[in-house]
Amino acid sequence: MTTQTVSAKSIKNVEKESVFKDTFKRILKNKLAVVGLVIISIQVLLAIFAPLLTSYAPDTQNLSARELPIGSEGHWLGTDNHGRDMWSRIVYGARISILVGIGSVGLGLLGGVVLGLLSGYYRKLDGIIMRLMDLLFAFPGILLAMLIIAILGTSLVNVVIAISIWSIPNCARIVRGSVLSTKKEEYILAQRSLGSSDRRIMFKHILPNITAPIIVFATMRMATAILSTSALSYLGLGAQPPTPEWGAMIAAGQDYMWTSPHMTIVPGIAIMLVVFAFNVVGDGLRDALDPNMDLN
Amino acid sequence: MKKILFSLVALTFLLLAACSSDSNGNNEQGSNGNEEGGESAADQELIYATTSDAPGLSPIDTNDSVSSNVVDQVFETLFVRNSDTGEIEPRLAESYETPDDTTWVIELKEGIEFHDGTPFNAEAVKYTFETLIDPERAAPRASLLAPVESVEVEDEYTVVINTKEPYGAMLAALSHSNSAIVSPEADQNGDINQEPVGTGPYKFVEWSKGDQIVLEKNEDYWRGEPGLDKVTFKVVPSVSTAISMMETGEVHFIDGVTSEHKSRIEGNDSFELITKDGTPVYNLGFNYEHEPMNDVEFRKAVSHALNRDSYVETLDGLGVRSNSIVGPQVFGYDESNEDLGYEYDPEKAKEIVEENGFDSETYHMLVPNRDAYINMGEIVQAQLSEVGINVEMEMMEWGTFLDVATEGEFDLTFLSWSNVTGDGSELLYPNLHSDNIGSSNRARYANDEFDQLVEASRDTTDQEARKEFLVEANQLAVEDAIWIPMHHGVIAAAVHESVKGLELESTGRWELYQVTRE
Repeated sequence: MTTQTVSAKSIKNVEKESVFKDTFKRILKNKLAVVGLVIISIQVLLAIFAPLLTSYAPDTQNLSARELPIGSEGHWLGTDNHGRDMWSRIVYGARISILVGIGSVGLGLLGGVVLGLLSGYYRKLDGIIMRLMDLLFAFPGILLAMLIIAILGTSLVNVVIAISIWSIPNCARIVRGSVLSTKKEEYILAQRSLGSSDRRIMFKHILPNITAPIIVFATMRMATAILSTSALSYLGLGAQPPTPEWGAMIAAGQDYMWTSPHMTIVPGIAIMLVVFAFNVVGDGLRDALDPNMDLN
Repeated sequence: MKKILFSLVALTFLLLAACSSDSNGNNEQGSNGNEEGGESAADQELIYATTSDAPGLSPIDTNDSVSSNVVDQVFETLFVRNSDTGEIEPRLAESYETPDDTTWVIELKEGIEFHDGTPFNAEAVKYTFETLIDPERAAPRASLLAPVESVEVEDEYTVVINTKEPYGAMLAALSHSNSAIVSPEADQNGDINQEPVGTGPYKFVEWSKGDQIVLEKNEDYWRGEPGLDKVTFKVVPSVSTAISMMETGEVHFIDGVTSEHKSRIEGNDSFELITKDGTPVYNLGFNYEHEPMNDVEFRKAVSHALNRDSYVETLDGLGVRSNSIVGPQVFGYDESNEDLGYEYDPEKAKEIVEENGFDSETYHMLVPNRDAYINMGEIVQAQLSEVGINVEMEMMEWGTFLDVATEGEFDLTFLSWSNVTGDGSELLYPNLHSDNIGSSNRARYANDEFDQLVEASRDTTDQEARKEFLVEANQLAVEDAIWIPMHHGVIAAAVHESVKGLELESTGRWELYQVTRE
């Protein structure tokens, strides 16, 4: 019995590895996705090594070196209206955008996956949960986030909560759909006839088989989360000064558009690159994980 | 691929939004079709852009600069402050005398009529002042004439004002926009807050709420026909949009220009930037009822930590550095007060902070959500953190901010006072006298010695003696560091080159009577 399990596990591992390798290989064929991966890797590296890569703290002011243009000595991306180094602010902003993205998508997945599993697995719960999700769908996303922030107050943590709540219905719907088709598979029937508990079937057998759409959703959602955080901070509902959040930096810079356009353009490009990267990687992942889709 | 395109488009929109977030009002303004707003030289129309609509148009029922800008064209006061000399001169009044400390006998000009034909006389003055202090009317600026006991009509053109105690700031109060004389007829039979009727050079025509207020020339104006045929006060919520509208000729005049827009205006040859040192003062204030803000050592440490010279430099000439709370353009200022206060000395600040353990807490700094204050807030926060004082900023919309600050829910905050009378008593009494804790004394400052000096400055009619009291009161407040003056305002307006004859007062007020377009 023991040996059997071990061998089953090792077979599974080999399978998993090959699936992973396979996916990775397929992604590497997609040039756009590779560009996206590189951008994301750079952002992650910037976020991790921020203190090593910058010679100024992001909120250290130098009032005698205000609004220096791009290419100034010691400040290659220039400085803002308080003489803060733009490069430092962008790098530390990368940290914030990654953390906010992971935080809100993570929370959203947690809620969405559980609700989606329950709703897809139990017919009785399906109606209630899906009508609740429809209710959330009825609000335009950013409006829902603004509503939640209006209730909770303005802060970056509340933005994470708001965006995660906004992600729940989309995630739940995707998971439910996959559960509905997966639960009809024969191996699930086999598990049920062996007397496995519902929880075991849901989390041990269904969930691992529907990871592909969840991963794709999460990657795409990172882009939405980062963009929404910036949008909310731009509106003054997210990060409070002097936090170097990219959207907040654009908002602060807009009055200086005529004199120091780099104050808005630099964080704008940062947001654009990162959101673009997550979207193309998400696309690449979807193509790579879906064996039914023929790219050619 | 669709998704990519979509996100690219979305991003482009976000970027565009950053560049032109305030262009939304633009189309609306344009579609209102100001056909007569063209560029022909003979066209004597002036369009002024204001960032918010006026709450009302009656001098009695309002107390804010947006309303006053309209009020100042439609109504007139008994006295006015000469914008060059700062001296108070008669306007609707002919002359005045003070037989004793509590009696003011004012002779009025004859032969003036309100726009509705009601004659301007002592009855109108009596009616206006009695209405202003009537508790039932609850005029927001009733405090201007709070010391007044009675107003009597001696004859058709002589009015006598009796005060309960000597009132030193009487003339300043009578030259305040909110003590302008209204037509009794119009006030009794209609709502002058919606349809104002005064004696001024321009008559009210129409007010489309949230959009514009239109005035036309008063051809029978007693000082002679005014220069412009038509004046429009347009609501344009953002200064950048207003500047863009000036570029296209849709707007001819804006005021309240801040440093971030200065270079854009200066870079345009068809605009002129007019500046004038003003009476407003911007302070960092403490909550006198919270620990350790009530400890003068804490306030000293903050003062030593702030490099106000470099802060004022960031204003690019649109702010004046002074150690005195009573500013250089305000009555009661004395140059000797510049030597007061606690200069930038971070080492000393650190010492005080360490000795008293001020670095153990995080303090709550309340900041109004307006560019000028956010700028101040970020700089103050950064400079305080350098000496070990940790401050957390909370930003708030203007109206909410005023309420929360009045409730005293802050440790540190920014306060400003534009001081329309230009008189030091009118700055120190409302803001720092213990009578006004819970209303305009947001710092909740209570100091008996200070209170007495401010009272003395109000109860004396001898201007020399008043000044001395004010200088002394100012000295006390500065040494006590209850307010740290960040900067004193510079009034800045941008006008189109076709606009001639516009003069700004140091209080930020302006009159359009002499203005013409060429």
